[in-house]
Amino acid sequence: MDNELFMNTEFPPPPEMATHFEPPPSSSSAMMLNWALMDPNPHQDSSFLWEKSTEQQQQQQQQSIFDSALSSLVSSPTPSNSNFSGGGGDGFLIRELIGKLGNIGNNNNNSGEIYGTPMSRSASCYATPMSSPPPPTNMNSQMMMNRTTPLTEFSADPGFAERAARFSCFGSRSFNGRTNTNLPINNIVNNSGKLTRVSSTPALKALISPEVAPGGEFSRKRKSVPKGKSKENPISSASPSPSFSKTAEKKEEWGGKGSKSSEEKGGKRRREEEDEEEGEGEGNNNTKPPEPPKDYIHVRARRGQATDSHSLAERVRREKIGERMKLLQDLVPGCNKVTGKALMLDEIINYVQSLQRQVEFLSMKLSSVNDTRLDFNVDALVSKDVMIPSSNNRLHEEGLQSKSSSPRSFTHLPTLTQFTDSISQYQMFSEEDLQSIVGMGVALNPNNESQHMKIEL
Amino acid sequence: MASADKLINTDVPEKDVFALHFLQSLSNLRTQNPLLNSPDKSIDRVKKIKNAAYVSMARAAGGTSRLWSRALLRRAAKDDNKSVRFSRRKRKVTWKISSKRRRSNQRAPVVEEAAERLRNLVPGGGGMETSKLMEETAHYIKCLSMQVKVMQCLVDGLSPN
Repeated sequence: MDNELFMNTEFPPPPEMATHFEPPPSSSSAMMLNWALMDPNPHQDSSFLWEKSTEQQQQQQQQSIFDSALSSLVSSPTPSNSNFSGGGGDGFLIRELIGKLGNIGNNNNNSGEIYGTPMSRSASCYATPMSSPPPPTNMNSQMMMNRTTPLTEFSADPGFAERAARFSCFGSRSFNGRTNTNLPINNIVNNSGKLTRVSSTPALKALISPEVAPGGEFSRKRKSVPKGKSKENPISSASPSPSFSKTAEKKEEWGGKGSKSSEEKGGKRRREEEDEEEGEGEGNNNTKPPEPPKDYIHVRARRGQATDSHSLAERVRREKIGERMKLLQDLVPGCNKVTGKALMLDEIINYVQSLQRQVEFLSMKLSSVNDTRLDFNVDALVSKDVMIPSSNNRLHEEGLQSKSSSPRSFTHLPTLTQFTDSISQYQMFSEEDLQSIVGMGVALNPNNESQHMKIEL
Repeated sequence: MASADKLINTDVPEKDVFALHFLQSLSNLRTQNPLLNSPDKSIDRVKKIKNAAYVSMARAAGGTSRLWSRALLRRAAKDDNKSVRFSRRKRKVTWKISSKRRRSNQRAPVVEEAAERLRNLVPGGGGMETSKLMEETAHYIKCLSMQVKVMQCLVDGLSPN
């Protein structure tokens, strides 16, 4: 919170602010224009004042602020928010009443100059605190100031509105991040769903939707709430101590990082947020471009779709299948033109079927052909089988009964001349396959048999 | 000649080996059942020749090193009621058990359905995981095309003309 405040005051306004305040109530918008015309600096000063005062309060009231970053975060805004956000029933009731009555004009009671218009804008986010009684309003005013000052500058900027509109989602997200880290109370309120008014703001809505899911963050913030509550009551005392606020801020950041490391998905998210904040700290409006992809990744990670072990295995499996499919694609003719696995598989199936049918057809043909001609050839081949190298012997020994049926042994290998001669004899076997087959069969035969075959064919 | 190790990888199976086996089994058919030449038994004969072709293809494709060739050999052994010897390693394979289980998962329905049809086509494909099925199919297609080529050659060469 403190960090943010400082950033807002010191640096040019962050773009997210613009987006948030885009859809404020109509009255506030009208005021916005007026406010934009005004010089933001005085407000900044006032905001500083408020900040200091709140910090003092915190210091005095609670030493335990430093315990955790969240606590520090909570502590600064607590006085204002605690009423409605703290979870106390009475505070909530009051808040609601105030909200119903909720005129922005009421805010002027304590720090009128500060509240002017920016209050109204912030009212969109923190509808009730604006109208809340003086002490809380003080706190609110501080917060409001921090938020509003940049806004005013932004509203003065002509291109700001367009930019904001363009990156509305980004703005909302960034705002979410801010609120998450810096204003845990708000989160809680939204999550609990008590504050309907607050949630009505688009930015806050966006806040709610992502925040509810991750339990870790939420629970942590919840823990921080009671502390804030305890602090809230003795609000009144105030003595400025800026240094304290800074230290608190630092601690907060540190704590945030620690939590990051502990969490996996939430950690990612937080990192994003922090990056955003850092960008703001540098005073840059243009941290927007990298944001959308981050958001996408974050969503996927949060759901656990891509990081799930099952999905990972599934992906590996699919990659494997795709790889094999490519292999098949090269084998099956006409498969290159087809896109899509299913169609490709259809093509493959068709091809296999056609091949099998072809085999059937050919075997049919062979059955008609295979009368007497194959005898010698086969005999020769069988005899050659005996001569086959050892690597193939295993196969033949397994199931080939033919050896016993046609025992024939050849002791000599054919000469090259015989081989070529036999090939020349069978011109009809133009194909290389058959040449080799017949060649083998014939070559291994004694001469007289090859002659015989020649006659037959 | 052909080395069995080479055939285990998805290399193109040796045509010569297949041709040898095939011709051998053809001659066996002849010598064992000389009466099959009669026309009334031609259908049976065609079937036998086909089986012989498949078995010899399976043998040529590395015997039982491939799932589909193993399935073919086993099927042939069942048909023939002959004892084709399988080594112990082969007996361990239980590809028929998981076939039903594979069908009951919810994956991309179209692809799975097509893969299912492919499983019915590829011998022994019932128990294969999809990626394995693809691999086996690739090899099977290679062998089949080789077989078709060789058989075509035989038919061309042996047909009277």
